[in-house]
Amino acid sequence: MTVLAKNSAKENDHDLLIAVAAGNRRALEELYLGYHRRLTRFLSRFTPRYENVEEIINDTFMVVWQSAKDFRYASRVSTWIIGIAYRTALKSLRRQKHHNAARSLDDCPEQTTDPTFDTEVQDWLRHGLNQLPVEQRLTLELAYHMGHSLQEIAVITACPVGTVKARMFHAREKLRQYLPASSGGAEDMTVKGQ
Amino acid sequence: MNTIRHGGEARIHEEISALIPWYVNGSIDEVDRQRVETHLPQCARCRDEVMHERGVYQGMNAELGVEYMPAASLKRLQARLDALSAVAPAEALSGPPAAAPRRGVVTWQGVMAASVAVMAVAVSMLAVERWAQSRTRAAPNYYTVTTSPLRAPHEVIRAVFIPTITLIELQAVLDEAGLRIVAGPTEAGVYSLATNSSRPVNASLALLRGHAKVRFAESIQPSVGPGDAP
Repeated sequence: MTVLAKNSAKENDHDLLIAVAAGNRRALEELYLGYHRRLTRFLSRFTPRYENVEEIINDTFMVVWQSAKDFRYASRVSTWIIGIAYRTALKSLRRQKHHNAARSLDDCPEQTTDPTFDTEVQDWLRHGLNQLPVEQRLTLELAYHMGHSLQEIAVITACPVGTVKARMFHAREKLRQYLPASSGGAEDMTVKGQ
Repeated sequence: MNTIRHGGEARIHEEISALIPWYVNGSIDEVDRQRVETHLPQCARCRDEVMHERGVYQGMNAELGVEYMPAASLKRLQARLDALSAVAPAEALSGPPAAAPRRGVVTWQGVMAASVAVMAVAVSMLAVERWAQSRTRAAPNYYTVTTSPLRAPHEVIRAVFIPTITLIELQAVLDEAGLRIVAGPTEAGVYSLATNSSRPVNASLALLRGHAKVRFAESIQPSVGPGDAP
């Protein structure tokens, strides 16, 4: 996404949230449609079950609907919404006592079938990500898939910057352990990944 | 002396190494980006880490290939919001709780007010029932071939898209045709579309009909002439 497009999306989100705060349902629906894909992808790292993902997304937007008027625009709208989704997902996992179950579900190949994850590197990556604790996995997801900065991830996860760095450090270290022995290291992987 | 220097280098290496993920995803600020780029030529380990993390970054950005259509879950959200808004006016109508009367003291004004309230509720219920009956009579629970289906506000076109269309593709088709969704999809997958621009309806219709992702499109206006002139 270009800087211009990013700024335009940011302004659009800002305008939509103001409308949501004024009780505009259409604005909420537009925001919902704009975030659905991103949140689906992000929340799939919590749980591979689409029903759970959908429930968390809808819970998130219920919070957005009820709290939009309290948002002070100290951070980007996207950071705020993804932060709500992150906390809603954690709460949902704790409530259902699925924290460990989610990980074990991730380990079931039939529930994580991904048609494009068919290359050696992607198989390795999927396997490696599934071995990480959920906080570390999501830190990687927020940085590498969603493109958030260190400071934004700290806001989303309501953690100090140091904690985010530590989670990222441990996630990277663990992922390295899952490098296929035959790959010959990172250089080889990068070539394959390109 | 060497130990001190090596200690300093190790600390710098750790600091730079911790920044690499945000260097790779492009969100790092300018000052830190320059620090990383100054350090990289001097540090083979960090160069190796940058290459490794780029591989992870690219792997994590591979397309999932599966895209969920949000229409069904959006409908469930709308139902929850409807339920919420139905509760809110009811609470507003009941007003703030009145001060609790003293226990055991029942005044004649209280009895009269209670009687009036009961009668008002009964009359309201009777009126609602009569209204519901008249509605039922007005709208029979069947359709004939001459029954006109209900139209969504501003609806000008109805369309069915191929089942595998993604949200992005759907949005692109609508943008191109200058249309927006005002209702649907129905159980049969029919979307009601309204015009979003000054483009004539027949031009939007022709575009939809010529599109590979559109299975069916019809105008619901009585007649659509060139330029939509009345």
